[in-house]
Amino acid sequence: MTVTDYFLPGSLSEALDLLGAHGPSLMVMAGGTVAMPLVNDGISLPGKVMGLRHAGLDDLREEGGGLYIGATVTLTRLLRQRAVPMLSEAARSTASWSVRNMATVGGNLFTPPPGGDVAVALLALDASVTLAGPAGTRVVPLGAFHTGFMTNVLQDGELLTGLRVPAVAGDTAYLKFGRKAANTPSVVTVAVRVARRGDTVTDARIALGAAGPHPLRAGAAERALVGSTLGPEVIEAVAAVAAEESQPFSDGVASEWYRRRMVRLFVTRALERIRQGGEGR
Amino acid sequence: MASVIVNFELCGRDVEVLVQPMATLQSVLRNQLGHTATKEGCRQGGCGSCTVLVDGEPMLSCLLPVEDVAGRRVTTLEGITPIDGLDPIQEAFLESNGFQCGYCTPGMVMVTRALLDHDPQPGREAIVEAISGNLCRCTGYQPIIDAIEKAADRLSGSGEQTGER
Amino acid sequence: MPEELNVVGRSVVRSDGVGHVTGRTRFAGDLVFPGMLHLKMVRSPLHHARIRGVDLGEAERVPGFVRALTWRDVPHNVYTILSLIGVEPEEEFVLAQDRVRYKGEPIVAVVAESEAAALEAVAKVRLDLEELPAVFDVEEALRPDAPVVTDWGNNTFMFEGHPSRRVRFGDVEAGFARSDHIVEAVYNSSPIEQAPTETTGCVAVPEANGRYTVYTNTQALYFSLDNTAIILQVPGKRLHFVGGTVGGGFGGKVDVIVEPIATLAAMKTGRPVRYVFSRSEEMQVSSTRSAWRIYMKDGVTRDGHILARKVTSYADSGAYSRQTPYALTKHAANAAGPYAIPNVSIDAYCVYTNRTPASAMRGFGVTMASFALEVQMDRIAERVGVDPWTIRFINAYHNGDRKPHRKIAEDATLIETMQAAAAFVGHELTDEQKAMTSAPRASLEGVR
Repeated sequence: MTVTDYFLPGSLSEALDLLGAHGPSLMVMAGGTVAMPLVNDGISLPGKVMGLRHAGLDDLREEGGGLYIGATVTLTRLLRQRAVPMLSEAARSTASWSVRNMATVGGNLFTPPPGGDVAVALLALDASVTLAGPAGTRVVPLGAFHTGFMTNVLQDGELLTGLRVPAVAGDTAYLKFGRKAANTPSVVTVAVRVARRGDTVTDARIALGAAGPHPLRAGAAERALVGSTLGPEVIEAVAAVAAEESQPFSDGVASEWYRRRMVRLFVTRALERIRQGGEGR
Repeated sequence: MASVIVNFELCGRDVEVLVQPMATLQSVLRNQLGHTATKEGCRQGGCGSCTVLVDGEPMLSCLLPVEDVAGRRVTTLEGITPIDGLDPIQEAFLESNGFQCGYCTPGMVMVTRALLDHDPQPGREAIVEAISGNLCRCTGYQPIIDAIEKAADRLSGSGEQTGER
Repeated sequence: MPEELNVVGRSVVRSDGVGHVTGRTRFAGDLVFPGMLHLKMVRSPLHHARIRGVDLGEAERVPGFVRALTWRDVPHNVYTILSLIGVEPEEEFVLAQDRVRYKGEPIVAVVAESEAAALEAVAKVRLDLEELPAVFDVEEALRPDAPVVTDWGNNTFMFEGHPSRRVRFGDVEAGFARSDHIVEAVYNSSPIEQAPTETTGCVAVPEANGRYTVYTNTQALYFSLDNTAIILQVPGKRLHFVGGTVGGGFGGKVDVIVEPIATLAAMKTGRPVRYVFSRSEEMQVSSTRSAWRIYMKDGVTRDGHILARKVTSYADSGAYSRQTPYALTKHAANAAGPYAIPNVSIDAYCVYTNRTPASAMRGFGVTMASFALEVQMDRIAERVGVDPWTIRFINAYHNGDRKPHRKIAEDATLIETMQAAAAFVGHELTDEQKAMTSAPRASLEGVR
């Protein structure tokens, strides 16, 4: 149906009130880069829509050695921050300049490839999401946010208000592989974080995108890595485990067969990058 | 449905429009304000032909409800075209044949404007990255990249000022 | 010195350049007229189905709905764009009647006060469809038990009484018998969408004098006008087509798809009507380059002379033939390539399937022939044991050669082109290759 009401709340409480008053039929939109195409083509015919651009959810600040990212912080602002280089890299790899000026970090968790690409980096950084609802606010680890293909723990009446990235140890690497050099959907996205004492890996995160129903951690590969020394054989073995436990899918971008091989290759490359110096953090 | 009134600044003048809720900036520019340089290639955020500047930043007018730009500064290609003659970016596109059918050109010029505002002397790689959201099906991009390089040289004063067409 | 030239050898600013860089160039979709209505199409969600019913009730109640058009409203609903050059039969439905033959085939046109209202009304048209088996492969479509796409019982287009466009030259079987090598291969291609940045569209405007002005981005202005006149059964003089500004075409805008129905809607409502494809319509329903399958068999002598070539090609025309018969004619004329081959047999089939109708795209018919035969030339070179340049010099056609479709070559330039190309890429040709020209052969000995 033709949109009869477009709400632009000026605060979180106003947004939650609107959500409460109109219920699940109210379409919630942040940057509009996913919702507007559906409306423009008549695929989605919402009657009432709430835009979050002016809801005051765009704080971006360093906090306790980590980062707080409001849900509607644009990908351009995430790209330009210097505190967490891997997040800058993740933002740079997403879409085009104009889209990044509109698309939001919170919104990216709801986009294809299922769950977005920025989330892959956020997973490797142990990020959590803040959800606000009529009953108050709760914090959910990002790893527990997605529950399936384009599904998540967000309840009716709740809004995702921001993300928190804690201070974490280790070197990081983020690699997104697409079919073009820029502005390209993901064949696979890999984010890794490795903490070492001496030569021994003490902690590891290996996060994968476009390799499952949502961004996921390769837990078995992480366990295989911890306690070992980062060398070519270990990297090779860990990448094989990651490929094995990944759950890739076929779509217009790549086949399941190809994606699984690319998981292996790009986990290898990411770990190699860390072995040879990493991106730092 | 009740229409709503939206005010914003368009190419240096204040405009007031009466729109249907969540009308796109693209449709308002094209259908109500006559700014048809803002093209309509996909309305999916995928082609860049509707690129405009909002407070100087390139955005896709097909994805922007016009209410979202209330009070903000919107610039279309009409706004950077001098009454007489051409902007140096337009001259460079003309001289380098940075177009063929012309449909992607307004978006290309707008993103070039924004790029050179941010980075007056971008390298070729930065140019390619900046226009990666603007699709051209005719040229193969090289003449467009040439045009942007030429415009950057001229505007930053490091290039030859031939003035020839 | 030749006389002073005004354009050749000079850099000239394009006459439409200033319009393009300023965005002042008027494309059809830029036009807005007072009282303009918006047309959106109800399309088949299935590849092949019988239409049991169409229910407009809910759509008609959408605020802003003006009217719907079905096949009953179209004066001459079954047409063929190439009927203007004598191609038969008329076969394509402006709006589907009892059957849809491809996904996205138009069934009902909805005209409304706003685009949003038109989209909403389209979503509320209820279709009662009975799904039928569909076929998507040219050779499967030619099997006797294949689902039939056309109304005449098989999936073959007839070229003047023959199921293929044929070329017969010399005796290929005798040529094969005298050959030292037989090189056989099959070449496949997928459909390709032209994907112009500006989608297909037009605005039809009723004028005070009873005429209709149609602003369109077609690549084929008069073709579109004439077909529109046929479909609407009005004299051509009542139609004024304004065009020439095309935001990318590449062959994707030569079919007459939007103008007839937009003009009909303008006639039925008395108001300007805008009908512009969405991007997804452009990708899904605008015609593509055909999918092709080409079987090629060559007989070659020990020293690399091609004695015989047999080609069997299938172009997937999709649900309707559109420009594909013409593409096949061009294909058949070019499948021997710029080579002198004394024995040639070509059969090129236009096959109907339940895919999106194919049509023109840059060099259509010839492009796939060139792809197949040039890869084939490399294969022949490999088999004979010479380099890819040599195999082409050996077989290059000369002026005066009779081509398989009986034309005498008059403007042969393959040899000179290869010589220039070799210089560009730094490939050293043999002295013999450097000395060759496309001049007529001294005797026909070289042609065997």
